[in-house]
Amino acid sequence: MKLHPALKRWESVLALLLIAEILLFGAINPVFLQPSMLLYATSDFIHVGITALALTLVIITGGIDLSLGSVMGLSAITLGILWVGEVNIWLAAIAALAVGTLAGVFNAIAIHLSKVNPLVITLGTGFLFGGGALVLSGLAGATGYEGISNFDPAFVNLANLEVVGLPLPFALFLVLTVGFMALLHRTRFGRYVYLIGQNPRAAAYAGTPVLRTLVVAYALTGLMAALSGLILASYFGSARSDFGTTALMPAITAVVLGGTSIYGGSGTILGTALAALLVGYLQTGLQLVGVSSHVSSALSGGLLVIVVALRSLSEMGRVWFQHRRVLRNVAAE
Amino acid sequence: MIIRFLQRHREASVALIIVFLFAILGLVDRSYLSLDTVLLVYGNSLILFVLAIGATMVMATHGLDVSVGSIMGLAAVVAGLLMNAGWGIPASVGVALLVGLLCGLFNGALVSLLNVSAIVATLGTLGLYRGFVHLLSGGSWIEGLPEGFKALTKAGSLGLSPVAWLVLVLLIGAHLGLRYTAFGRSMFAVGDNREGARLIGIRVNEVQIVAYGLNGLLAALAGVIFASQIGFIPNTAGTGMEMRAIASSVLGGVSLLGGTGTVIGAALGAYFMTSIDSILVLLRLEAYWNDIIAGAILLVVLITDGKIREAVDRHLRYQKYRKFIDPQAAGQHADVARSLKTTLKPSEARK
Repeated sequence: MKLHPALKRWESVLALLLIAEILLFGAINPVFLQPSMLLYATSDFIHVGITALALTLVIITGGIDLSLGSVMGLSAITLGILWVGEVNIWLAAIAALAVGTLAGVFNAIAIHLSKVNPLVITLGTGFLFGGGALVLSGLAGATGYEGISNFDPAFVNLANLEVVGLPLPFALFLVLTVGFMALLHRTRFGRYVYLIGQNPRAAAYAGTPVLRTLVVAYALTGLMAALSGLILASYFGSARSDFGTTALMPAITAVVLGGTSIYGGSGTILGTALAALLVGYLQTGLQLVGVSSHVSSALSGGLLVIVVALRSLSEMGRVWFQHRRVLRNVAAE
Repeated sequence: MIIRFLQRHREASVALIIVFLFAILGLVDRSYLSLDTVLLVYGNSLILFVLAIGATMVMATHGLDVSVGSIMGLAAVVAGLLMNAGWGIPASVGVALLVGLLCGLFNGALVSLLNVSAIVATLGTLGLYRGFVHLLSGGSWIEGLPEGFKALTKAGSLGLSPVAWLVLVLLIGAHLGLRYTAFGRSMFAVGDNREGARLIGIRVNEVQIVAYGLNGLLAALAGVIFASQIGFIPNTAGTGMEMRAIASSVLGGVSLLGGTGTVIGAALGAYFMTSIDSILVLLRLEAYWNDIIAGAILLVVLITDGKIREAVDRHLRYQKYRKFIDPQAAGQHADVARSLKTTLKPSEARK
């Protein structure tokens, strides 16, 4: 059986799964197929997708960022603190994005200087940033998980704004997907990202600016996490320090499900974007069918296990068939 | 001497840093070093101790298990439901531990037999097992646990609760087991060099699966201890504990790359993570400072430890090549060294 090369790609499998999923939920509950439903449902999970786009870069370099959930909370709280301190909301938003970017730069520099596994370093910085968010909200008197609210209405309306018929967060996600695709697949920086993931030592010997590339990759992840924090703050109309705690695992899930190797060196932005939508719609669809949100998160965990296991099995099968063919050819001669 | 010692005992540098921090705290407030405080912190870190033992085993095989928090919750809910349904305490706890063991074995099978990377596989089961928690509990808290069950973690002989004694035995047993038994060593062999371990006749897959299985069993025990300590079981029981367990083990000198680490080191790390609470009380800070201090200390320890290890490596490499750089120290290799010296500048050889 000869398939068109484009159809053999993992992204097309994801796209088919996504369509099948939407049609399946649509068959159970026709409400699911309404365009407005499909578009506005994204607001519940698009922050995961936006962070996952940048996380893809980091994972391709062979690293990981466990601190992004904490950065979401930190950026939201920074916004809240500045707003309570009567700073203009847009200035506060820019400051929050800057804090997120700096957190990413800090990650990259700590990883590069200490030569310790990124998983461990970002585990530590995750505690640090998350703790920082807690301290800030504690100092501001917003103790516990009440959060800071009463934002400028213009800011709160942002999440519900429409751009050419699309909700703003979703439109942002689409634009960022295209932007990251161009960055990763069409620039020298993107090639460096792959090279560092394939073989860090060869990359260093080849004169690749390793530190600079890592700093940019982690800084972008920090920036996107901060942006997601702001989107959540706008969507919920309040800022809390625990915003990102539930977003970390789904973001990694989206990247891995999207076909990026957790060991680094391969992966695509399109895969991540499709996988983020696949997981997100699975959650929404299950809730619409009447499954509780906790059970649906279990099912997306199950989905991850099954898909990754199947991919691994098919790879093992492919190797087995290849060996058999080679052995047969040898035997025939 | 020191270099050789630090190289042989990977956890020693971390232990030194931790002892140093304890000493500072002891100077600030004498009562911190009293037996009462030590016992109090010990009692508070039981859960983390148990999780750290499991994390050490899994990390020794070059694995990672981020699903332990969910296994904890699942075991706690299973035990709670069975007890409230009228089962005896030993039977309920036994079933809960069995559930944990099965969860762990499933993780191990995914990682070992299906070749899924450890973090991805356990990330999936993290969500999966948490879902079972919600399914079983129906979304509500489990309350009204029997008094006999809660008494397991109430202080008993010599100021320690029955569970605290059990954990002490477990710590010592696991430490000795990992260091001095063939099976314990085979875990480290698998983590250090999987192919090499296979070639010397270790059943690599079996060892990995058992390591994950034991980790699941220990996570379930941690869940049971948790339920006994707080007396009820929320749906969120155990969330976030995986990160604390990994952090404790890493603090205690267990390498994520497999092959090194000791249970005592990991226990020191866990003890330290818990004693940050006491530090806060000593420094008269609010509770919300906990995470930022934990994170800062974790980073300082990691980076210092990384730097110490780099220095040790550099020194060892210098020792190895010294005879080629300095003919006087060369002894029997003097002639080789003399011929090499003309071509090799010391700075180049040291690289």
